[in-house]
Amino acid sequence: MSEEILVLIEHRGGKARAISWEAIGFGQKLAGLLNREMAVVLLGHEVDALAAEMTQRCGQAVLVASSPQLESYTPEAYCAVLSQLVCQRSPWLLLLGHTYQAIDFAPRLAAMLGRGLIPNCVDFRWDGTQLTFVRQVFNGKLNLEVGFKGSPPHLVSLQQGAFSAYDVQSASNPKLVHVDAALTPEVLKRKVLGILKTAQGQVDLTQADIIVAGGRGLANKEKFQIILDLAQVLGAGVGASRPVTDGGWLPKEHQIGSSGQTVAPKLYIACGISGAIQHLVGMSNSGCIVAINKDPNAPIFSIADYGIVGDVFKVVPVLIEAAKEIRK
Amino acid sequence: MQILVCLKQVPDKDSRYKIDSAGTGIDEEDLVFETNESDQYALEEGLRLREKFGGEVVLLSLGGERVLKSIKNGLAMGADRALHLTGSEFQGSDASVVASAIRRAMATEAFDLVLTGVQSDDLGFGQTGTILAELLGWVHATIVVEIDIQPETRTVRVKRELESNLFEQVEIPLPAVLAIQSGINQPRYATLKGIMQAKKKEIKTLTPAILGMQPGDLGSTGSRVDHRRLFFPEKRKQTVMIEGEPEEAAKRLVEKLRKEARVL
Repeated sequence: MSEEILVLIEHRGGKARAISWEAIGFGQKLAGLLNREMAVVLLGHEVDALAAEMTQRCGQAVLVASSPQLESYTPEAYCAVLSQLVCQRSPWLLLLGHTYQAIDFAPRLAAMLGRGLIPNCVDFRWDGTQLTFVRQVFNGKLNLEVGFKGSPPHLVSLQQGAFSAYDVQSASNPKLVHVDAALTPEVLKRKVLGILKTAQGQVDLTQADIIVAGGRGLANKEKFQIILDLAQVLGAGVGASRPVTDGGWLPKEHQIGSSGQTVAPKLYIACGISGAIQHLVGMSNSGCIVAINKDPNAPIFSIADYGIVGDVFKVVPVLIEAAKEIRK
Repeated sequence: MQILVCLKQVPDKDSRYKIDSAGTGIDEEDLVFETNESDQYALEEGLRLREKFGGEVVLLSLGGERVLKSIKNGLAMGADRALHLTGSEFQGSDASVVASAIRRAMATEAFDLVLTGVQSDDLGFGQTGTILAELLGWVHATIVVEIDIQPETRTVRVKRELESNLFEQVEIPLPAVLAIQSGINQPRYATLKGIMQAKKKEIKTLTPAILGMQPGDLGSTGSRVDHRRLFFPEKRKQTVMIEGEPEEAAKRLVEKLRKEARVL
Protein backbone atom coordinates (compact mmCIF):
# COMPACT_ATOMS: atom_id res chain seq x y z
CA MET A 1 0.00 0.00 0.00
CA SER A 2 1.27 3.40 -0.83
CA GLU A 3 1.53 5.64 2.16
CA GLU A 4 -1.92 7.11 2.16
CA ILE A 5 -3.54 10.41 3.05
CA LEU A 6 -6.06 10.19 5.88
CA VAL A 7 -8.73 12.86 6.32
CA LEU A 8 -10.41 13.11 9.71
CA ILE A 9 -14.08 14.03 9.74
CA GLU A 10 -15.59 16.26 12.38
CA HIS A 11 -19.31 15.83 12.82
CA ARG A 12 -22.15 17.32 14.81
CA GLY A 13 -25.68 16.00 15.10
CA GLY A 14 -25.14 13.27 12.51
CA LYS A 15 -23.73 15.63 9.88
CA ALA A 16 -20.17 16.21 8.76
CA ARG A 17 -19.10 19.82 9.21
CA ALA A 18 -18.43 21.93 6.11
CA ILE A 19 -14.70 22.05 6.87
CA SER A 20 -14.58 18.24 6.65
CA TRP A 21 -15.85 18.34 3.06
CA GLU A 22 -13.26 21.01 2.30
CA ALA A 23 -10.59 18.71 3.75
CA ILE A 24 -11.84 15.76 1.67
CA GLY A 25 -11.82 17.88 -1.51
CA PHE A 26 -8.28 19.06 -0.79
CA GLY A 27 -7.20 15.54 0.22
CA GLN A 28 -8.43 14.22 -3.13
CA LYS A 29 -6.61 17.00 -4.97
CA LEU A 30 -3.38 16.20 -3.11
CA ALA A 31 -3.81 12.44 -3.54
CA GLY A 32 -4.10 13.03 -7.30
CA LEU A 33 -1.06 15.29 -7.47
CA LEU A 34 1.11 13.03 -5.37
CA ASN A 35 -0.32 9.78 -6.68
CA ARG A 36 -1.33 8.48 -3.28
CA GLU A 37 -4.32 6.67 -1.87
CA MET A 38 -6.76 8.47 0.33
CA ALA A 39 -9.18 7.39 3.04
CA VAL A 40 -11.61 9.16 5.32
CA VAL A 41 -11.63 8.57 9.10
CA LEU A 42 -14.74 8.85 11.22
CA LEU A 43 -14.77 8.56 15.02
CA GLY A 44 -17.95 8.29 17.04
CA HIS A 45 -20.65 6.04 18.36
CA GLU A 46 -23.29 4.53 16.04
CA VAL A 47 -22.15 6.63 13.11
CA ASP A 48 -22.68 4.03 10.36
CA ALA A 49 -25.41 6.11 8.70
CA LEU A 50 -23.08 9.08 8.39
CA ALA A 51 -20.25 6.78 7.24
CA ALA A 52 -22.49 5.31 4.53
CA GLU A 53 -23.51 8.77 3.37
CA MET A 54 -19.89 9.87 3.19
CA THR A 55 -18.87 6.75 1.28
CA GLN A 56 -21.62 7.49 -1.23
CA ARG A 57 -20.79 11.11 -1.67
CA CYS A 58 -17.00 11.01 -1.95
CA GLY A 59 -16.49 7.42 -3.07
CA GLN A 60 -13.54 6.93 -0.76
CA ALA A 61 -12.87 4.26 1.81
CA VAL A 62 -14.33 5.41 5.12
CA LEU A 63 -12.61 4.01 8.20
CA VAL A 64 -15.01 3.96 11.13
CA ALA A 65 -13.86 3.73 14.74
CA SER A 66 -16.95 3.22 16.84
CA SER A 67 -17.20 3.11 20.61
CA PRO A 68 -19.56 4.47 23.28
CA GLN A 69 -16.50 6.28 24.65
CA LEU A 70 -16.29 8.23 21.40
CA GLU A 71 -19.87 9.46 21.61
CA SER A 72 -18.83 12.81 23.02
CA TYR A 73 -15.45 14.23 22.12
CA THR A 74 -12.56 13.99 24.54
CA PRO A 75 -8.93 14.60 23.56
CA GLU A 76 -7.84 11.47 25.43
CA ALA A 77 -10.12 9.08 23.52
CA TYR A 78 -9.45 10.79 20.16
CA CYS A 79 -5.68 10.69 20.70
CA ALA A 80 -5.75 7.05 21.84
CA VAL A 81 -7.81 5.81 18.87
CA LEU A 82 -6.07 7.94 16.25
CA SER A 83 -2.58 7.07 17.45
CA GLN A 84 -3.48 3.36 17.24
CA LEU A 85 -4.86 3.84 13.76
CA VAL A 86 -1.81 5.77 12.62
CA CYS A 87 0.51 3.09 14.03
CA GLN A 88 -1.43 0.38 12.18
CA ARG A 89 -1.71 2.10 8.81
CA SER A 90 1.42 4.31 8.77
CA PRO A 91 -0.20 7.02 6.67
CA TRP A 92 1.89 9.69 5.00
CA LEU A 93 -0.37 12.60 5.96
CA LEU A 94 -3.23 13.17 8.39
CA LEU A 95 -5.43 16.09 7.31
CA LEU A 96 -7.78 17.84 9.70
CA GLY A 97 -9.93 20.94 9.74
CA HIS A 98 -8.54 23.67 11.98
CA THR A 99 -11.51 23.63 14.33
CA TYR A 100 -11.65 24.19 18.06
CA GLN A 101 -11.64 20.41 18.39
CA ALA A 102 -8.46 20.02 16.34
CA ILE A 103 -6.83 22.88 18.26
CA ASP A 104 -7.57 20.86 21.40
CA PHE A 105 -6.25 17.41 20.49
CA ALA A 106 -4.08 17.56 17.34
CA PRO A 107 -0.92 18.96 19.00
CA ARG A 108 -1.15 16.23 21.64
CA LEU A 109 -1.64 13.52 19.00
CA ALA A 110 1.37 14.85 17.07
CA ALA A 111 3.46 14.80 20.27
CA MET A 112 2.35 11.21 21.03
CA LEU A 113 3.50 10.22 17.56
CA GLY A 114 6.69 12.29 17.84
CA ARG A 115 5.74 14.20 14.71
CA GLY A 116 5.07 17.77 13.65
CA LEU A 117 1.74 19.49 13.08
CA ILE A 118 1.34 22.46 10.75
CA PRO A 119 -1.88 24.14 11.86
CA ASN A 120 -4.36 26.51 10.22
CA CYS A 121 -3.01 26.30 6.66
CA VAL A 122 -4.50 28.49 3.94
CA ASP A 123 -2.61 27.23 0.88
CA PHE A 124 0.02 24.75 -0.26
CA ARG A 125 2.93 24.49 -2.71
CA TRP A 126 4.00 21.37 -4.54
CA ASP A 127 7.03 21.62 -6.77
CA GLY A 128 7.13 17.97 -7.77
CA THR A 129 9.39 16.92 -4.91
CA GLN A 130 8.61 19.07 -1.89
CA LEU A 131 5.30 19.85 -0.27
CA THR A 132 4.98 22.97 1.84
CA PHE A 133 2.02 24.64 3.47
CA VAL A 134 1.23 28.33 3.81
CA ARG A 135 0.05 29.81 7.10
CA GLN A 136 -0.90 33.32 8.15
CA VAL A 137 1.37 34.71 10.86
CA PHE A 138 1.81 37.99 12.75
CA ASN A 139 -1.94 38.58 12.85
CA GLY A 140 -2.35 38.01 9.14
CA LYS A 141 0.24 40.61 8.12
CA LEU A 142 2.66 37.99 6.82
CA ASN A 143 2.51 34.49 5.37
CA LEU A 144 4.89 31.69 6.26
CA GLU A 145 5.69 28.65 4.17
CA VAL A 146 6.28 25.66 6.42
CA GLY A 147 7.51 22.18 5.58
CA PHE A 148 8.04 19.02 7.58
CA LYS A 149 11.29 17.56 8.82
CA GLY A 150 11.83 13.91 9.48
CA SER A 151 9.74 10.95 8.46
CA PRO A 152 5.95 10.72 8.05
CA PRO A 153 3.22 10.69 9.19
CA HIS A 154 2.80 14.45 9.01
CA LEU A 155 -0.14 16.32 10.48
CA VAL A 156 -1.78 19.32 8.84
CA SER A 157 -4.90 21.29 9.74
CA LEU A 158 -6.70 23.49 7.22
CA GLN A 159 -8.23 26.88 7.87
CA GLN A 160 -12.00 26.87 7.48
CA GLY A 161 -13.05 28.22 4.10
CA ALA A 162 -9.53 28.34 2.69
CA PHE A 163 -9.73 25.14 0.64
CA SER A 164 -13.35 25.31 -0.45
CA ALA A 165 -12.18 25.60 -4.07
CA TYR A 166 -11.46 21.88 -4.27
CA ASP A 167 -14.81 20.25 -4.86
CA VAL A 168 -15.34 16.74 -3.61
CA GLN A 169 -15.01 14.29 -6.52
CA SER A 170 -16.71 10.93 -6.62
CA ALA A 171 -13.86 8.44 -6.41
CA SER A 172 -14.15 4.77 -7.26
CA ASN A 173 -13.30 3.13 -3.98
CA PRO A 174 -16.44 3.36 -1.87
CA LYS A 175 -16.20 1.04 1.09
CA LEU A 176 -16.84 1.11 4.77
CA VAL A 177 -14.18 -0.39 7.01
CA HIS A 178 -14.55 -0.80 10.75
CA VAL A 179 -11.30 -0.22 12.57
CA ASP A 180 -10.27 -0.97 16.12
CA ALA A 181 -11.48 1.51 18.72
CA ALA A 182 -10.41 -0.38 21.82
CA LEU A 183 -10.25 1.99 24.76
CA THR A 184 -9.50 1.13 28.34
CA PRO A 185 -11.60 3.04 30.89
CA GLU A 186 -8.43 4.61 32.34
CA VAL A 187 -7.90 6.48 29.09
CA LEU A 188 -10.75 8.84 29.88
CA LYS A 189 -9.31 11.17 32.45
CA ARG A 190 -12.03 13.79 32.23
CA LYS A 191 -15.73 14.13 32.88
CA VAL A 192 -17.63 16.12 30.29
CA LEU A 193 -20.29 17.86 32.38
CA GLY A 194 -22.20 19.45 29.52
CA ILE A 195 -22.37 21.82 26.58
CA LEU A 196 -24.06 25.16 27.08
CA LYS A 197 -24.97 28.18 25.02
CA THR A 198 -24.24 31.79 25.96
CA ALA A 199 -26.78 32.57 28.65
CA GLN A 200 -27.65 36.11 27.64
CA GLY A 201 -30.45 36.97 25.22
CA GLN A 202 -29.45 36.29 21.65
CA VAL A 203 -28.41 39.01 19.26
CA ASP A 204 -28.98 37.64 15.79
CA LEU A 205 -26.74 39.44 13.33
CA THR A 206 -27.13 36.84 10.59
CA GLN A 207 -30.25 38.51 9.22
CA ALA A 208 -28.90 42.08 9.23
CA ASP A 209 -28.48 43.85 5.87
CA ILE A 210 -25.92 46.22 7.28
CA ILE A 211 -23.51 45.61 10.15
CA VAL A 212 -21.35 48.27 11.75
CA ALA A 213 -18.57 46.60 13.73
CA GLY A 214 -15.94 48.04 16.01
CA GLY A 215 -12.63 46.68 17.29
CA ARG A 216 -9.66 47.38 19.51
CA GLY A 217 -9.11 50.75 17.79
CA LEU A 218 -12.17 52.15 19.58
CA ALA A 219 -10.02 52.25 22.73
CA ASN A 220 -12.70 51.94 25.42
CA LYS A 221 -16.36 51.43 26.25
CA GLU A 222 -17.22 55.15 26.26
CA LYS A 223 -15.59 55.80 22.91
CA PHE A 224 -17.29 52.72 21.42
CA GLN A 225 -20.53 54.74 21.55
CA ILE A 226 -19.85 56.20 18.07
CA ILE A 227 -20.22 52.69 16.62
CA LEU A 228 -23.65 52.37 18.23
CA ASP A 229 -24.54 55.84 16.91
CA LEU A 230 -23.52 55.01 13.33
CA ALA A 231 -25.40 51.71 13.50
CA GLN A 232 -28.50 53.46 14.72
CA VAL A 233 -28.50 56.02 11.91
CA LEU A 234 -28.02 53.27 9.31
CA GLY A 235 -30.52 50.91 10.92
CA ALA A 236 -27.65 48.43 11.17
CA GLY A 237 -26.72 45.61 13.53
CA VAL A 238 -23.79 46.15 15.88
CA GLY A 239 -20.87 43.75 15.65
CA ALA A 240 -17.58 43.52 17.47
CA SER A 241 -14.22 41.82 17.29
CA ARG A 242 -12.82 39.90 20.23
CA PRO A 243 -11.01 42.69 22.15
CA VAL A 244 -14.33 44.56 22.46
CA THR A 245 -16.18 41.71 24.15
CA ASP A 246 -13.08 40.67 26.14
CA GLY A 247 -12.92 44.19 27.52
CA GLY A 248 -16.62 44.18 28.38
CA TRP A 249 -17.43 47.12 26.06
CA LEU A 250 -20.22 45.02 24.54
CA PRO A 251 -21.80 41.68 25.52
CA LYS A 252 -20.20 38.59 23.99
CA GLU A 253 -23.21 37.91 21.77
CA HIS A 254 -22.13 40.79 19.51
CA GLN A 255 -18.85 39.05 18.70
CA ILE A 256 -18.27 38.15 15.07
CA GLY A 257 -15.75 35.47 14.17
CA SER A 258 -14.83 31.88 14.89
CA SER A 259 -16.09 31.89 18.46
CA GLY A 260 -19.04 34.15 17.74
CA GLN A 261 -21.39 34.67 14.83
CA THR A 262 -20.75 34.14 11.13
CA VAL A 263 -22.38 36.85 9.08
CA ALA A 264 -22.70 37.90 5.45
CA PRO A 265 -24.61 41.21 5.28
CA LYS A 266 -24.83 43.35 2.13
CA LEU A 267 -22.63 45.96 3.81
CA TYR A 268 -20.08 45.42 6.58
CA ILE A 269 -18.36 48.49 8.01
CA ALA A 270 -15.31 47.51 10.07
CA CYS A 271 -14.05 50.34 12.26
CA GLY A 272 -10.79 50.03 14.17
CA ILE A 273 -10.66 46.29 13.45
CA SER A 274 -7.23 45.03 12.41
CA GLY A 275 -8.64 41.84 10.89
CA ALA A 276 -7.26 38.92 12.86
CA ILE A 277 -7.97 35.62 11.11
CA GLN A 278 -10.48 34.65 13.81
CA HIS A 279 -12.53 37.73 12.93
CA LEU A 280 -12.22 37.46 9.15
CA VAL A 281 -13.64 33.93 9.04
CA GLY A 282 -16.85 35.32 10.52
CA MET A 283 -17.43 38.13 7.98
CA SER A 284 -15.31 37.71 4.84
CA ASN A 285 -18.34 36.61 2.78
CA SER A 286 -20.09 39.94 3.31
CA GLY A 287 -21.25 41.63 0.09
CA CYS A 288 -19.42 44.92 0.45
CA ILE A 289 -16.73 45.40 3.08
CA VAL A 290 -15.60 48.82 4.26
CA ALA A 291 -12.53 49.11 6.46
CA ILE A 292 -11.54 52.18 8.46
CA ASN A 293 -8.25 51.78 10.31
CA LYS A 294 -5.24 53.91 11.16
CA ASP A 295 -2.80 51.13 10.25
CA PRO A 296 -2.40 50.90 6.44
CA ASN A 297 -0.98 47.38 6.83
CA ALA A 298 -3.92 46.03 8.81
CA PRO A 299 -5.03 42.72 7.21
CA ILE A 300 -8.64 43.92 7.14
CA PHE A 301 -7.68 45.96 4.05
CA SER A 302 -6.78 42.78 2.17
CA ILE A 303 -10.44 41.78 2.05
CA ALA A 304 -12.04 45.25 1.96
CA ASP A 305 -13.83 46.69 -1.06
CA TYR A 306 -13.40 50.24 0.22
CA GLY A 307 -10.79 51.42 2.67
CA ILE A 308 -9.98 54.59 4.54
CA VAL A 309 -6.65 54.82 6.34
CA GLY A 310 -7.42 57.20 9.15
CA ASP A 311 -8.56 57.86 12.66
CA VAL A 312 -11.95 56.25 13.37
CA PHE A 313 -12.76 59.06 15.78
CA LYS A 314 -12.48 61.58 12.95
CA VAL A 315 -14.01 59.51 10.15
CA VAL A 316 -16.99 57.92 11.90
CA PRO A 317 -18.60 61.18 13.17
CA VAL A 318 -18.58 62.49 9.57
CA LEU A 319 -20.12 59.21 8.39
CA ILE A 320 -22.87 59.62 11.00
CA GLU A 321 -23.68 63.11 9.71
CA ALA A 322 -23.55 62.01 6.06
CA ALA A 323 -25.79 59.04 6.81
CA LYS A 324 -28.28 61.32 8.57
CA GLU A 325 -28.44 63.42 5.39
CA ILE A 326 -29.33 60.47 3.13
CA ARG A 327 -31.85 59.11 5.63
CA LYS A 328 -33.80 62.38 5.52
CA MET B 1 -0.96 25.69 44.84
CA GLN B 2 2.25 25.92 42.76
CA ILE B 3 1.46 27.57 39.45
CA LEU B 4 3.72 27.98 36.44
CA VAL B 5 2.68 30.69 33.98
CA CYS B 6 4.37 30.66 30.56
CA LEU B 7 4.79 34.03 28.88
CA LYS B 8 5.85 34.69 25.32
CA GLN B 9 7.02 38.06 24.16
CA VAL B 10 5.70 39.09 20.75
CA PRO B 11 5.86 42.23 18.58
CA ASP B 12 3.27 44.93 19.26
CA LYS B 13 0.13 44.32 17.15
CA ASP B 14 0.48 47.53 15.17
CA SER B 15 4.05 46.68 14.10
CA ARG B 16 5.25 47.17 10.55
CA TYR B 17 7.38 44.22 9.63
CA LYS B 18 10.52 43.79 7.60
CA ILE B 19 11.61 40.33 6.52
CA ASP B 20 15.12 39.34 7.59
CA SER B 21 17.99 38.57 5.21
CA ALA B 22 17.45 34.81 5.55
CA GLY B 23 13.86 35.30 4.35
CA THR B 24 12.40 33.10 7.08
CA GLY B 25 11.95 35.50 9.98
CA ILE B 26 11.34 39.14 10.80
CA ASP B 27 13.91 41.86 11.34
CA GLU B 28 13.56 42.59 15.06
CA GLU B 29 15.26 45.97 14.91
CA ASP B 30 12.84 48.90 15.44
CA LEU B 31 10.09 46.58 16.74
CA VAL B 32 8.41 47.11 20.09
CA PHE B 33 7.73 43.90 22.02
CA GLU B 34 5.02 43.14 24.55
CA THR B 35 3.72 40.13 26.46
CA ASN B 36 1.45 37.99 24.27
CA GLU B 37 -2.17 38.95 24.87
CA SER B 38 -3.66 35.65 26.04
CA ASP B 39 -0.57 35.02 28.21
CA GLN B 40 -1.40 38.21 30.13
CA TYR B 41 -4.79 36.73 30.94
CA ALA B 42 -3.10 33.46 31.99
CA LEU B 43 -0.89 35.39 34.39
CA GLU B 44 -3.83 37.27 35.91
CA GLU B 45 -5.67 33.97 36.36
CA GLY B 46 -2.60 32.50 38.09
CA LEU B 47 -2.39 35.47 40.46
CA ARG B 48 -6.07 35.15 41.36
CA LEU B 49 -5.72 31.43 42.06
CA ARG B 50 -2.74 32.09 44.32
CA GLU B 51 -4.70 34.77 46.19
CA LYS B 52 -7.42 32.18 46.81
CA PHE B 53 -5.37 29.06 47.54
CA GLY B 54 -1.90 30.33 48.52
CA GLY B 55 1.34 29.00 47.07
CA GLU B 56 3.45 30.56 44.36
CA VAL B 57 3.14 31.91 40.84
CA VAL B 58 6.33 31.24 38.90
CA LEU B 59 6.85 32.85 35.50
CA LEU B 60 8.65 31.21 32.62
CA SER B 61 9.74 32.88 29.42
CA LEU B 62 12.09 31.78 26.67
CA GLY B 63 14.12 34.23 24.66
CA GLY B 64 16.98 36.71 24.68
CA GLU B 65 17.60 39.73 26.85
CA ARG B 66 14.44 41.49 25.66
CA VAL B 67 12.04 39.00 27.32
CA LEU B 68 13.27 40.23 30.73
CA LYS B 69 10.91 43.16 30.21
CA SER B 70 7.90 40.81 30.12
CA ILE B 71 9.28 38.84 33.06
CA LYS B 72 9.86 41.98 35.16
CA ASN B 73 6.41 43.28 34.34
CA GLY B 74 4.91 39.95 35.43
CA LEU B 75 6.89 40.06 38.69
CA ALA B 76 5.67 43.63 39.24
CA MET B 77 2.09 42.44 38.72
CA GLY B 78 2.66 40.03 41.59
CA ALA B 79 4.33 36.82 40.42
CA ASP B 80 6.79 35.42 43.00
CA ARG B 81 9.81 34.49 40.90
CA ALA B 82 10.78 33.60 37.35
CA LEU B 83 12.63 31.15 35.14
CA HIS B 84 14.33 32.68 32.12
CA LEU B 85 15.22 30.12 29.45
CA THR B 86 17.83 31.66 27.24
CA GLY B 87 20.57 30.86 24.76
CA SER B 88 21.19 31.54 21.09
CA GLU B 89 20.83 27.78 20.45
CA PHE B 90 17.07 28.18 21.03
CA GLN B 91 16.75 30.39 17.90
CA GLY B 92 14.39 28.80 15.39
CA SER B 93 12.97 26.20 17.78
CA ASP B 94 9.46 24.94 17.11
CA ALA B 95 6.79 24.23 19.74
CA SER B 96 8.06 20.68 20.38
CA VAL B 97 11.54 21.97 21.29
CA VAL B 98 10.13 24.75 23.48
CA ALA B 99 7.81 22.29 25.24
CA SER B 100 10.65 19.91 26.02
CA ALA B 101 12.77 22.79 27.35
CA ILE B 102 9.90 23.81 29.63
CA ARG B 103 9.49 20.24 30.84
CA ARG B 104 13.19 20.13 31.74
CA ALA B 105 12.93 23.49 33.53
CA MET B 106 10.07 22.02 35.59
CA ALA B 107 12.08 18.96 36.66
CA THR B 108 13.29 20.43 39.97
CA GLU B 109 9.93 21.99 40.79
CA ALA B 110 6.58 20.60 41.94
CA PHE B 111 3.84 22.41 40.07
CA ASP B 112 0.11 21.68 40.31
CA LEU B 113 -0.89 23.78 37.37
CA VAL B 114 0.68 25.18 34.21
CA LEU B 115 -1.09 28.12 32.58
CA THR B 116 -0.36 29.31 29.05
CA GLY B 117 -2.19 31.55 26.62
CA VAL B 118 -4.24 29.89 23.87
CA GLN B 119 -1.82 30.92 21.14
CA SER B 120 0.86 33.46 20.37
CA ASP B 121 0.00 36.52 18.34
CA ASP B 122 3.16 36.14 16.26
CA LEU B 123 3.46 32.64 14.82
CA GLY B 124 0.27 31.27 16.38
CA PHE B 125 1.03 27.55 16.17
CA GLY B 126 -0.92 27.18 19.43
CA GLN B 127 0.71 23.95 20.53
CA THR B 128 3.35 24.46 23.22
CA GLY B 129 1.13 23.87 26.26
CA THR B 130 -0.63 20.86 24.79
CA ILE B 131 2.64 19.20 23.77
CA LEU B 132 4.00 19.95 27.25
CA ALA B 133 0.98 18.19 28.80
CA GLU B 134 1.74 15.10 26.72
CA LEU B 135 5.43 15.17 27.71
CA LEU B 136 4.44 15.47 31.39
CA GLY B 137 1.67 12.88 31.12
CA TRP B 138 -0.77 15.48 32.49
CA VAL B 139 -4.31 16.23 31.38
CA HIS B 140 -4.81 19.44 29.41
CA ALA B 141 -7.68 21.76 28.59
CA THR B 142 -7.57 24.44 25.90
CA ILE B 143 -9.48 27.65 25.19
CA VAL B 144 -10.36 27.95 28.87
CA VAL B 145 -12.67 30.81 29.88
CA GLU B 146 -13.43 29.83 33.51
CA ILE B 147 -11.51 27.90 36.19
CA ASP B 148 -13.00 26.44 39.34
CA ILE B 149 -10.51 24.47 41.46
CA GLN B 150 -11.82 21.87 43.92
CA PRO B 151 -8.86 21.47 46.31
CA GLU B 152 -10.39 18.61 48.33
CA THR B 153 -10.71 16.32 45.29
CA ARG B 154 -7.68 17.79 43.48
CA THR B 155 -9.77 18.41 40.42
CA VAL B 156 -10.51 21.48 38.35
CA ARG B 157 -13.72 22.32 36.57
CA VAL B 158 -13.13 24.40 33.49
CA LYS B 159 -15.41 26.08 31.02
CA ARG B 160 -14.04 25.83 27.49
CA GLU B 161 -15.03 28.02 24.60
CA LEU B 162 -16.32 26.17 21.53
CA GLU B 163 -17.41 27.60 18.20
CA SER B 164 -20.64 29.54 17.62
CA ASN B 165 -21.20 30.81 21.15
CA LEU B 166 -21.13 27.31 22.68
CA PHE B 167 -19.21 26.30 25.78
CA GLU B 168 -18.17 22.96 27.24
CA GLN B 169 -17.92 22.27 30.95
CA VAL B 170 -15.45 19.59 31.90
CA GLU B 171 -13.81 18.28 35.04
CA ILE B 172 -10.17 17.19 34.95
CA PRO B 173 -7.71 16.02 37.61
CA LEU B 174 -4.69 18.01 38.78
CA PRO B 175 -1.91 18.43 37.86
CA ALA B 176 -2.99 19.93 34.57
CA VAL B 177 -1.99 22.28 31.77
CA LEU B 178 -4.58 24.91 30.88
CA ALA B 179 -4.49 27.15 27.82
CA ILE B 180 -6.26 30.36 28.74
CA GLN B 181 -8.43 32.32 26.31
CA SER B 182 -8.31 36.11 26.35
CA GLY B 183 -11.26 37.74 28.10
CA ILE B 184 -11.33 35.30 31.04
CA ASN B 185 -10.60 38.19 33.44
CA GLN B 186 -9.42 41.80 33.43
CA PRO B 187 -5.64 41.74 33.97
CA ARG B 188 -4.34 44.12 36.63
CA TYR B 189 -1.69 46.75 36.09
CA ALA B 190 1.61 46.72 37.92
CA THR B 191 1.63 49.19 40.82
CA LEU B 192 4.57 51.33 41.82
CA LYS B 193 4.90 49.20 44.95
CA GLY B 194 4.84 46.07 42.80
CA ILE B 195 7.57 47.48 40.55
CA MET B 196 9.75 48.20 43.60
CA GLN B 197 9.16 44.74 45.08
CA ALA B 198 9.88 43.05 41.75
CA LYS B 199 13.48 44.24 41.89
CA LYS B 200 14.14 41.83 44.77
CA LYS B 201 12.51 38.82 43.17
CA GLU B 202 14.54 35.93 41.81
CA ILE B 203 15.00 35.44 38.06
CA LYS B 204 16.77 32.14 37.46
CA THR B 205 18.63 31.87 34.14
CA LEU B 206 18.44 28.47 32.50
CA THR B 207 20.59 27.78 29.45
CA PRO B 208 20.33 24.70 27.22
CA ALA B 209 23.47 23.36 28.96
CA ILE B 210 21.90 23.73 32.42
CA LEU B 211 18.75 22.05 31.10
CA GLY B 212 20.84 19.18 29.72
CA MET B 213 19.82 19.79 26.12
CA GLN B 214 22.16 18.90 23.25
CA PRO B 215 22.65 21.07 20.14
CA GLY B 216 20.83 18.43 18.09
CA ASP B 217 17.69 18.84 20.27
CA LEU B 218 17.55 22.58 19.69
CA GLY B 219 16.72 25.24 17.15
CA SER B 220 15.63 24.22 13.71
CA THR B 221 17.77 21.05 13.93
CA GLY B 222 15.66 19.75 16.80
CA SER B 223 12.37 20.91 15.28
CA ARG B 224 9.74 18.87 13.49
CA VAL B 225 8.61 21.63 11.19
CA ASP B 226 10.73 23.85 9.04
CA HIS B 227 10.14 27.54 8.34
CA ARG B 228 11.04 27.89 4.68
CA ARG B 229 9.88 31.32 3.53
CA LEU B 230 8.23 34.38 5.04
CA PHE B 231 6.46 36.73 2.64
CA PHE B 232 3.84 39.45 2.40
CA PRO B 233 0.48 38.05 1.34
CA GLU B 234 -1.06 39.08 -1.94
CA LYS B 235 -4.21 41.10 -1.58
CA ARG B 236 -7.31 39.01 -2.03
CA LYS B 237 -9.40 41.89 -3.28
CA GLN B 238 -8.88 45.06 -5.23
CA THR B 239 -9.53 47.60 -2.52
CA VAL B 240 -10.58 51.10 -3.47
CA MET B 241 -8.60 53.23 -1.04
CA ILE B 242 -10.25 56.55 -0.37
CA GLU B 243 -7.67 59.23 0.26
CA GLY B 244 -7.96 62.69 1.69
CA GLU B 245 -8.81 64.36 4.98
CA PRO B 246 -11.25 62.44 7.21
CA GLU B 247 -14.15 64.77 6.44
CA GLU B 248 -13.71 64.52 2.69
CA ALA B 249 -12.90 60.78 2.69
CA ALA B 250 -15.98 59.94 4.74
CA LYS B 251 -18.22 61.91 2.38
CA ARG B 252 -16.71 60.25 -0.70
CA LEU B 253 -17.16 56.86 0.92
CA VAL B 254 -20.87 57.45 1.46
CA GLU B 255 -21.14 58.62 -2.15
CA LYS B 256 -19.45 55.45 -3.41
CA LEU B 257 -21.54 53.19 -1.20
CA ARG B 258 -24.67 54.79 -2.64
CA LYS B 259 -23.81 55.15 -6.31
CA GLU B 260 -21.13 52.56 -7.01
CA ALA B 261 -21.83 49.69 -4.60
CA ARG B 262 -25.51 50.62 -4.18
CA VAL B 263 -25.64 49.33 -0.63
CA LEU B 264 -26.92 52.46 1.09
